[in-house]
Amino acid sequence: MSEREPKIVSFLCNWCSYGAADLAGVGRMEYPPNIRVIRIPCTGRMSPKFFLAALAQGADGVWVSG
Amino acid sequence: MEHMGVEPGRLSFSWISSAESTKFVDVVKDVTATVKALGPNINFKKAADKVA
Amino acid sequence: MITFKLNGKTVQGEEGQYILQVAQKYGVEIPTLCHHKALEPAGMCRLCTVELFDGRRSRFVTSCNYPIWEGMEVKTDSEPVHQGRKLIVELLMARCPDVPILKELGKKYGITETRFKKEEDTCILCGLCTRICTKMGNSAISLTGRGVDMKVDTPFHIQTDVCMACGACASVCPTGHITLEKIRSSVTKNSFKLIPSEYDMGLKGRKPVYVPYAQAVPNTPVIDRSVCMHFKTGGCKVCTEFCGVNAIDHTMQDEVVELNVGSIILSPGYQPFDPSKFDSYGYSKHPNVITAMEMERILSASGPTAGHLVRPSDHKEPKKIAWFQCVGSRDMNKCDHAYCSSVCCMYAIKEAVIAKEHSGSDLDCAIFYMDMRTHGKDFERFYNTAKDKHGVRFIRSRVHTIEPVPGTDDLSIRYITESGESVVEKFDQIVLSVGMEISPEVVGMAKNLGIELTPGNFCKTTTFEPVATSRPGIYVCGAFQGPKDIPQSVIDSSAAASAAGEILAEARNTLTRAKEIIPETNVIGERPRIGVFVCRCGINIAGVVNVPSVAEYAATLPYVEYATDNLYSCSQDTQENMAQIIKREGLNRVVVAACTPKTHEPLFQETLTNAGLNKYLFEMANIRNHDSWVHKNNPDLATQKAKDLIRSAVYKVALTMPLAEAELQIKSSALVVGGGIAGMTAARSLSLQGYETHIVEKSSNLGGQARNLYRTAKGEDIQQQLDILIQDVNQDDKIHVHLNAELVQMDGFVGSFKSTLNSAGQEIVVEHGVAVLATGASAYQPTEYHYGEDSRIVTSLELDKKFMEKDSSLSSLQSAVFIQCVGSREPDRPYCSRVCCTHSIDNALALKEMNPGMNIYLLYRDIRTYGEREYLFKEAREKGIIFIRYSMDKKPEVSLSNGKLSVKIMDHILGTPLEIETDLITLATAIVPNRDEKLANFFKVPMNSDGFFVERHAKLGPSEFATDGVFLCGMAHYPKPIDESIVQGKAAASRAVTLLARKTIHTSGNVAEVVPATCSSCGVCVSICPYSAPSFVEETARFNPGKAQINPVLCKGCGLCVASCRSGAIRLKGFDNDQIFAQITALNEAM
Repeated sequence: MSEREPKIVSFLCNWCSYGAADLAGVGRMEYPPNIRVIRIPCTGRMSPKFFLAALAQGADGVWVSG
Repeated sequence: MEHMGVEPGRLSFSWISSAESTKFVDVVKDVTATVKALGPNINFKKAADKVA
Repeated sequence: MITFKLNGKTVQGEEGQYILQVAQKYGVEIPTLCHHKALEPAGMCRLCTVELFDGRRSRFVTSCNYPIWEGMEVKTDSEPVHQGRKLIVELLMARCPDVPILKELGKKYGITETRFKKEEDTCILCGLCTRICTKMGNSAISLTGRGVDMKVDTPFHIQTDVCMACGACASVCPTGHITLEKIRSSVTKNSFKLIPSEYDMGLKGRKPVYVPYAQAVPNTPVIDRSVCMHFKTGGCKVCTEFCGVNAIDHTMQDEVVELNVGSIILSPGYQPFDPSKFDSYGYSKHPNVITAMEMERILSASGPTAGHLVRPSDHKEPKKIAWFQCVGSRDMNKCDHAYCSSVCCMYAIKEAVIAKEHSGSDLDCAIFYMDMRTHGKDFERFYNTAKDKHGVRFIRSRVHTIEPVPGTDDLSIRYITESGESVVEKFDQIVLSVGMEISPEVVGMAKNLGIELTPGNFCKTTTFEPVATSRPGIYVCGAFQGPKDIPQSVIDSSAAASAAGEILAEARNTLTRAKEIIPETNVIGERPRIGVFVCRCGINIAGVVNVPSVAEYAATLPYVEYATDNLYSCSQDTQENMAQIIKREGLNRVVVAACTPKTHEPLFQETLTNAGLNKYLFEMANIRNHDSWVHKNNPDLATQKAKDLIRSAVYKVALTMPLAEAELQIKSSALVVGGGIAGMTAARSLSLQGYETHIVEKSSNLGGQARNLYRTAKGEDIQQQLDILIQDVNQDDKIHVHLNAELVQMDGFVGSFKSTLNSAGQEIVVEHGVAVLATGASAYQPTEYHYGEDSRIVTSLELDKKFMEKDSSLSSLQSAVFIQCVGSREPDRPYCSRVCCTHSIDNALALKEMNPGMNIYLLYRDIRTYGEREYLFKEAREKGIIFIRYSMDKKPEVSLSNGKLSVKIMDHILGTPLEIETDLITLATAIVPNRDEKLANFFKVPMNSDGFFVERHAKLGPSEFATDGVFLCGMAHYPKPIDESIVQGKAAASRAVTLLARKTIHTSGNVAEVVPATCSSCGVCVSICPYSAPSFVEETARFNPGKAQINPVLCKGCGLCVASCRSGAIRLKGFDNDQIFAQITALNEAM
């Protein structure tokens, strides 16, 4: 890899963004392959501990989407 | 976050309904571009290593 | 049992077995060229020679036909044996120097070049062919001649009709000496053909013993008696020798089974139209003229070319493909099918888009059509995307002839463009979009059953009973009811089930059996043993992600005991296989890397349950929707991403624990929101099946939009039928109608909803187990075409009103104009309203009936009279109604001056502007959804960008929502005519009954739980929960007084309380902190 690809840990709500991501797949829409999805039941489940842990362990970015 | 030495741009929040696949793709592109522009996450990672 | 020594080891075999058989059983390899499990051994090739010590001396015997005896000693690979075999191979290599299998053997025995004189034969005289021929019951060939003249031949060296061209000899020939071509040219007099695979549309052959297709249910091979040799000669039965469980019984007979039933549902389907009778298209002459069904197979990952798009004649990748629409539809000339097949426009567009996806965007796809009929939900959008984004060419022209291009396999066509030019264009391949046709067998069945058919041979039904045949108790669904696509067929089938359920309500559950419950293995305290199954999903995943390397990688992850890949993980055979692997390998955690858990998690969880594992010991990695589908141009990173996602899933699944599910009672009553035709039908069906139902209608009367409509496309009086339905509803004891009512509050969940209605100022609380949303839609109020400025410019509904009022002024009109697509298929409302073409044409015909001399013009963009509605279009043209097409950029112009009303339009045939003076302009206005955000919020159901509700699954779940216990029907789903609203009303009831009839269901185990020891009784969770699941344990309770507790039935597992708990006293089962942290760690490890 010539350029280092950043990794973004994503927390997606099962009912909203996760569904949107599925639909994007069904629609064969292309997007950058940098995100890694963790399915959470709801953004309400999100705790600051999660993204701090992700960043501390070396993720280049964190994206939380409800 | 700045206090801890993390660029705030590394953390993004958004709200997308399950029908908005186009918006999803747009947001992914945005988030990726923002994080790419910031370069590798060294500051916070190092700091964390030191603490550990 | 006979005991002897094999290579020094003591082994056992049955009396009468040969050495080779026993050696194979013990995994000792002995080379042979002339042995076949199903044939008597002959010892022809001598390769299987072994050394036998009989107690006194050693000698050499052929192991394939030397019977075993007590106390013998056999050496299969001693030096003398090896030397002997080497010589045999060398001699065979001299006889047949070019046979691959002999070269291979030569390499194994270290022979580079034979020392003997080379001949040019390919036959080693092993006799397999003659022996199998005898086994087939035929003896068409035998070994003839003696010594060096010996060869395989037919008697007297002539072509014979004894040979039935079964090809068995070619299939067993080890050297390739016998080929099918040789049999054809010098052995048999019989014709010789491949057995066409029905599944692959004849593009591939299949065997006489076969599984129809990979997902077939039951997944058991069948024997095709029409081609099986045993049923021709009484011989063969080779298959029985190979079946390990003696499951094959050639004597089995067809059975006549008599069943006593209360109702019959007919779903015999259709057959694709056979275009060979169109000689001008040369389907049977030109290999590269194929049907759309053949194209489907070529594009399919499980098809004959594994999804690689190549044309049949030379397997070249086509650069240009054309689709011809309406082959076998809308045509009285050659095929006698006047109806529109409804589905072909959409499937042609789909095939064109997929073809481009497979072959790259430089593939040229052109669709030749008459009217583009994309009247289904979201279809118009797909059409626009195909045109604008994918660059599929749409050419409005009917092509007459396909000519081959001499010297090539290409095809040439001549067509007339819209502007009247004649164009000649070459294509590599032409796809005929064949229509649907009812087979003669189905027509015969209908005759036997005594049910009436339509002119198109479809089952005759009425608008108000669209799934009832002409014979009581017999119902119909699917394409036999009329040409239709998958969602409409699924709606139909639910409706037919409901219709049968209505008359058989009393018999429900009288013949049910309880499902066997597989006891759950206790895994607590066990070390995780994880199984990872990576799905190829045909080429959906494997086409992008390197699946074998991902599976290999998965096997290296901690605690992973087993990793493999599957072609389709969701197919029934794979499911059974997975359950067996789980048991065999003693797995206690499972990861499936495939599609989305939102659709497939329940399926795989059931596999776990069947394998005796708690279903929560499972995790999915979404490597299709989130990976292969969206990163198809980046296979390396997609593969890396797949590995990351699987690692994350493996880390999480290792921490999962078995979870228990709460049991939930289902209240046996329903709430239907909306008192239109769909809502009333649903209510009536629910009540007839024994469930109390409440209808909430916001207006002061029942009937909805149907109140505004004059007659159906089949000529039935709508008001009369509507009154009957309203009366039925009003007189039904089980149906409670709430008029002038609105839903003001909604609590609860599937099985126990609690809705508060405001009915004419009064608050009523209704408790119900399920809800049906049938809120309908309304007519668009136009702002274009001077609507509202003159009473002669009306909407379709206003014209209907005039018909209903028997307005006498209508018959005195000299001229009438209909303008289609008013508000539909526009940029801000990019959907087709589905009903307007039929509605306008029917109204035009009604005007013609009143005054045959009236000049009627219908201005349209595409006429979409799908199915047998097409007859109306034909009738209208025959009766002189003039159809003039307009395009988006040249819309008709309405002008009003000096009391004169006129329409200006560009005539697409003459190419000149035309001015029509008229007495009436009818605007076919769009159907606009109600966009009831409040209702959507109450039931937590989604709406699409047009404002229609989004069903659970566009194809397979059209009448229900993703929210449990909430169902959908009528125009709130999408614009539709009355018959389709009624079908969906019944379908929604049917789906609801599947829940109501169960009486209890199990909730999710992914719920929050309080750890009382750390709970500080602060009450944040109690106040924050949107579902009121947490509460305080009473102060007087014996255990944990004052602490929080969570009702697992109410808990939706959102985790809000978990994140907000100050003491960290709440855990979310299945999404616990340590599990999410493990996932984070897993994702970061590769960085």
